[in-house]
Amino acid sequence: MQVAVVGSGLAGFTAYQTLRRELEPAEIAVFGTDDDPAATFRRRAAAIRQREMRSESDGHCGPTSFPGLAFRASVGRRSPAPLVGSLCDRFHPTVREFLAHVERLRVRSGWDASLRSERIERVRAVDGGFELDGHGVFRHVLVAPGHPGLNLPEELRADPRTVHAYEPHEYAPTVTVVGAGLAAATEWLNALGAGAEVVSVRRREPVRRPLNVAREYFSRRGLTGFHRLSAGERAERLKVLLAPSYPPGRRWDEPLARAMMEDRFRVEDAVNGARQVICATGFLHGFQHDALLARLVDEHALETADGWIVLHTDGSVPALTDGTRTLALCGVPAQWAFPAADTVPGAKYVAHGFLTRIRSCPTR
Amino acid sequence: MSYTLRGRIESRLAALLPVVAAACVLASAEHRWWPVEAAGLMVGAGITLDVLGYDRLLRYQPGWAAAPLGLLELGLVLLLMRVAGVAAPVWQAVALFAGGWLTAQALGHAGFPLLRLTYAEDGGELGRLGAATAVAIGVVLAGAGATAYALRPPVVHLSAGVHQGPLVITRREVLVGEPGAVVRGGIVIRASGVTVKNVTVVGGENGITVERVHGTVLDGVSISGSKLDGIHVRLAGVVIKNCTVDMLGNTLGQGIDISYNMDMGMSMVEGCTITGGMEGITTHSSMSDIMRNSVSRTTMRGISVTEMSMGMVMDNVVRDARGIGIWCNDRSMCMIERNTVLGTRPDAAGHAFGVLASFQSEANLWKNQLGENPVAFSSIIDSEIQRDRSFSYR
Repeated sequence: MQVAVVGSGLAGFTAYQTLRRELEPAEIAVFGTDDDPAATFRRRAAAIRQREMRSESDGHCGPTSFPGLAFRASVGRRSPAPLVGSLCDRFHPTVREFLAHVERLRVRSGWDASLRSERIERVRAVDGGFELDGHGVFRHVLVAPGHPGLNLPEELRADPRTVHAYEPHEYAPTVTVVGAGLAAATEWLNALGAGAEVVSVRRREPVRRPLNVAREYFSRRGLTGFHRLSAGERAERLKVLLAPSYPPGRRWDEPLARAMMEDRFRVEDAVNGARQVICATGFLHGFQHDALLARLVDEHALETADGWIVLHTDGSVPALTDGTRTLALCGVPAQWAFPAADTVPGAKYVAHGFLTRIRSCPTR
Repeated sequence: MSYTLRGRIESRLAALLPVVAAACVLASAEHRWWPVEAAGLMVGAGITLDVLGYDRLLRYQPGWAAAPLGLLELGLVLLLMRVAGVAAPVWQAVALFAGGWLTAQALGHAGFPLLRLTYAEDGGELGRLGAATAVAIGVVLAGAGATAYALRPPVVHLSAGVHQGPLVITRREVLVGEPGAVVRGGIVIRASGVTVKNVTVVGGENGITVERVHGTVLDGVSISGSKLDGIHVRLAGVVIKNCTVDMLGNTLGQGIDISYNMDMGMSMVEGCTITGGMEGITTHSSMSDIMRNSVSRTTMRGISVTEMSMGMVMDNVVRDARGIGIWCNDRSMCMIERNTVLGTRPDAAGHAFGVLASFQSEANLWKNQLGENPVAFSSIIDSEIQRDRSFSYR
């Protein structure tokens, strides 16, 4: 067996779908601890009561952008509305539709046949590939470790009122939501809907944009300039691109405006005396928070910049990738190559590059 | 999608490849060049817009934008066709464009992404396929251009002086008269695709006879002294422009007579001066546009559109006709606009109409100057005159 995917979450699952274009399930080993690739996403989406995806029609796990989720929804609902909505960038699949899509692909693609329920703690470069924690040597390895952990502000960690947005929770009568991204905005509306008074605590005004990053960064149009930046410039650019944001639109604005008029929603600089503090503060940033990546960097002296491992434009690790072997990072650690790497299209981007390297490998 | 410039051009060319191929097939089937010319203009206009406009203005192009941009490109292509003189049937040209647009949408949204895994993230670039497509389109259009060049009709120059006719043209050619070139005894055209330019014709049964052929162009011809008609067209499609027909002394012949060519598409008479004859310009069972002509001193009607003919009669000046200035007759349909009819003389029965619609015909009148006639306009025998667009006459 030549190809391994380390990580059985959505990023690894999406990459697996691309690999299946050319490889049989028996040729791919997937290492992970969860049978269900959407388990983590499902848990977090349920925690913030997310009903609709932020992504659009092409936020699906299939290898090609067509047929997208809008097309499938149109067929499923027997209505052209999803396709028309997609033309206007107003189609967002429901979480239920997305999860059903993942389940269909899981069954159809042979995912379970490739999955090995093992946690990989260490990836070590050896002659002819990479040794995975005693599970063999693989010539091409894609590491999709997921987010390294939930981020809680230091000063709130010991506060008993605190809960992270992505942990299961209900809503107290008075709620402070810390953060300014999509999870925070979702929690504002959730808490208001539950009848709470809500205080938003944030360091900056939220950016309003439809997707995680500006649309041009999903294609070579924006990526070419991004890839030309020096390491320092790219790290700075990433901070700007990945600033917390949520989509524009009345769906968000009207309930907030109404609540402000009723004096049930306000913005403050610091956490006050609310009975519940919800931290919608995302995830820890940096490879050093992920044991596998931290060890990989240490053992192979990989180049890093501001918490990111420096990668090729296709997401592969330069020092460990050549014509005969490939080590690529997928998901959030691949933001160095693709700013929206923690999205499904981002996972596909890395997977496409990974597959290209496998194809061109003379000893495949 | 956020296209790169290269992605835009490659996607466009690949999407147009089937259109260019279809245009070549259509051109072969119809033996006309307009489909290839139109496809070439679609390619040229599209790439120009990509380079100069879209790439700079649209960092991201939502799906819905394809509709207004498509309409913009359609308008531009039609305008260019008009400017370049591409003689295409408008609706067929629109259908060709629409087919190309739909193909582009299907390929852009479904075909290319299925064909190329990284199509979306590559900004529409198609790699080797894109380069191959560009070469293929270039080869096809260059080949078509070379073929068109090679198939151009030969140009025959008629030297100054008098040439004894009748001159019978039996092959596709362009006959160009040098200044002072005169054909005595008439010209007979017996081949399709013949152009006659700047030739003076004196005498002959008809000055110029065009029968059972298509694609004839008579440009700048001057005719006098013919025994029957000045220009006599039967079962043939013609464009006659900038001609002079002198029929003075011939009381029975027509200046220009275009008849029985309803199935040959539109014919046209434009910018001619006709003096004398029984009728200045007449059409029978024909689809013809008669525009910007001057007709005077006829022994009967100035312009007649008759026997189930259809067409526009626009911007003509008719002087000193007898009985009727402009006649729409016998189940014909006539758009009569911005004409001037002056001094129509009474016929034997004492009638003198500026415009007359008769025998189940329909005439639309708009902005004609008919006041200086005994009767400005009238309709008889189940005919109808409509004046629904700001009708006025003086």
